Amino acid sequence: MDRVLAVEGLKKSFGDLVAVNGVGFTVDAGETYGLLGPNGAGKTTTISMIAGLLAPDAGSVSIEGDSISVRSTRGRSHIGLVPQDLAIYPDLTCRENLVFFGRLYGLSGDRLQRRVDEVLDVIGLTDRAKDLTKEFSGGMKRRLNIGIGLLHEPRLLILDEPTVGVDPQSRIAILDAVEQLSSEGMAVLYTTHYMEEAERLCDRVGIIDEGSIKAEGTRRDLVALIGEKDRIVLTGELDGAADDVRQIPGVAEVYQSEHRLDVMVGQASSILPTILTRISQAGCSVTGVEVEEPNLEAVFLHLTGKALRD
Amino acid sequence: MFHWAARLIAVKDLRLRLRDKSVFIMGLLAPLGLAFIFNLTFAGALQEGSIDLRFGFVDLDGSPSSAGLSQVLGQLEAEEFLDLTTYDDRETAVAAVEDGDIQAFILVPEGFDQELATGAPKLEVLGHVDAGTATSVAAAVARQFGAGVDAARLAVVTTASILGVPPSPDLVGQLQGDPATAAFTSDITGLDAEVRQLDGVTYITAGMAVFFLFFTVQSGILGLLDEEREGTLRRLFAAPVPRSAVMAGKGLMSYILGVVALTTLVVASSLIMGAEWGHPLGVAVMILAGVAAAVSVMGVAAGVARTPEGAENLAAITAVVLGMLGGVFFPIESAGGALAALSAITPHYWFLRGLGDLAGGAPWTNALPAAGVLAGMAVVFGLIAVWVLNRRFSR
Repeated sequence: MDRVLAVEGLKKSFGDLVAVNGVGFTVDAGETYGLLGPNGAGKTTTISMIAGLLAPDAGSVSIEGDSISVRSTRGRSHIGLVPQDLAIYPDLTCRENLVFFGRLYGLSGDRLQRRVDEVLDVIGLTDRAKDLTKEFSGGMKRRLNIGIGLLHEPRLLILDEPTVGVDPQSRIAILDAVEQLSSEGMAVLYTTHYMEEAERLCDRVGIIDEGSIKAEGTRRDLVALIGEKDRIVLTGELDGAADDVRQIPGVAEVYQSEHRLDVMVGQASSILPTILTRISQAGCSVTGVEVEEPNLEAVFLHLTGKALRD
Repeated sequence: MFHWAARLIAVKDLRLRLRDKSVFIMGLLAPLGLAFIFNLTFAGALQEGSIDLRFGFVDLDGSPSSAGLSQVLGQLEAEEFLDLTTYDDRETAVAAVEDGDIQAFILVPEGFDQELATGAPKLEVLGHVDAGTATSVAAAVARQFGAGVDAARLAVVTTASILGVPPSPDLVGQLQGDPATAAFTSDITGLDAEVRQLDGVTYITAGMAVFFLFFTVQSGILGLLDEEREGTLRRLFAAPVPRSAVMAGKGLMSYILGVVALTTLVVASSLIMGAEWGHPLGVAVMILAGVAAAVSVMGVAAGVARTPEGAENLAAITAVVLGMLGGVFFPIESAGGALAALSAITPHYWFLRGLGDLAGGAPWTNALPAAGVLAGMAVVFGLIAVWVLNRRFSR
């Protein structure tokens, strides 16, 4: 994989408050890396240091091999930053916002106009390009906020809680866009405190709390880390099936209740056909099947002792 | 890259300011409106020679000393500060006061010259009860002349203070060259540097212009803090341009706004209110230097405050305090002492002084000393502003 971002040992304190304490991770091209943590965990401070907005007390950031620092503009053209706040000018039109920031990132002439048109198309605002953005809905502003970060075709797109306060429709559009960009080879660093977004978008997730990354990996890696099992919930005429199911290799635990069997397994998708076959052979009938995979919320709870939205 | 980015940001900000129209209100309408109102209110009192000073002079001594006083009064008359009528005796002069022909007279009693030597000379001043200002001027002239200490200089200063206009260089030259007034020539050249050489209308307009200039440029430089509050500053700082270019862009925008506003005021007040600013090149130099100083001072205010709201308050307080100290409402430097010293550290003082130095058809180079001081302030406060702003945004 082509390494785009390398972060090592980032530290930052504000007085006595240690905001970030030794954060390190990497993001490759075409990969979406999620920083999952509650408000105040250190996500935005970490992003600020990666984007060269804040000088770290220790540690380093390099993007495409270029070291990032507050005092230098080197490497910044590789970054597309989408801040949590709506970083747009309400008294400029949508197109004027894009043109201004495009120029700031060195675009000009035909390339600038082409990119502006392309981005307007991606964010679905072509027909509102000439409107002042103060007349936009919150979701439209969010989409423009993201579009500005895409203008110069950065190698690394940093999205800081991009879906906070948006309507469900815009949220879906934003998540779809991020998936699309990642599939096209862009490295994406995505911070969120929404577990569902991290699970859907991120190839790897760093769970961050109190300024440090508590655990990192794919969703399955993280779940395996805490030994959580898939839960298969079977409903129907299941009296007497529990003993048969319990004997299947890979089944950890079985809980019987009226018309319901809860089966704890390592990986539901591989063992479910065997379970259904054994129940059928036992003369029982299944009317409903539901698989609940362990989620990152549970992982976060396990690692930090608190919920994501605390 | 630095210049290109600064220009890009300045153009964007100018477009935004023009759209929200605040620049028109703070930069043009407010100062022009206030100057216009002041002009309507005080025009009669502030136009050169418009205070009606009608003095009488009675010389019962007939000595060289009384001739000296007569000559000073005559020169003031020649400069159109007053109308002077000479009377042969006190009774005739008193009658003229009672009839309203004159407002006050100065009488040199017989033996005055001899009493100068003994140290107790006395002059008599008599004025109409309804002509307090004129009587005060006459009394001041008489008192100081009688004391024999820089008499004419102080009389002229008194006259200038009340009229709002100083003596012209011509008058000063005449006074300096006249042996009869040799006693008060030593300090009289100092008057040439007094700021209040502008005519009343121009002085008020210039005062309002430089006062509101600080609010005009404040709106630009504080845009940095607005962008910080609204989140766009993070995006600007994340771009591949130096931070200093972002700050310079804000400063450049403020500078352009200030120059345009001041220039418009100068032109408008000249055409509408008859203000006489002096040599255009000198005025241009003063505008360029004055705006630079204002931008730098406001930059410091923006960088020192902890919050955008605090910065707005601090900038407003700074503009008002410096304006008052600098003499935009009244010439505080005439109070002397510590207040005069404080006044001299304000850009407002030097702006008004520089324009004053251009009055009366003076060459444009007369503005250079004051402009130099303003440019120095711009550099010093500018460096401080960059330092405090960098410090602020690195926190």
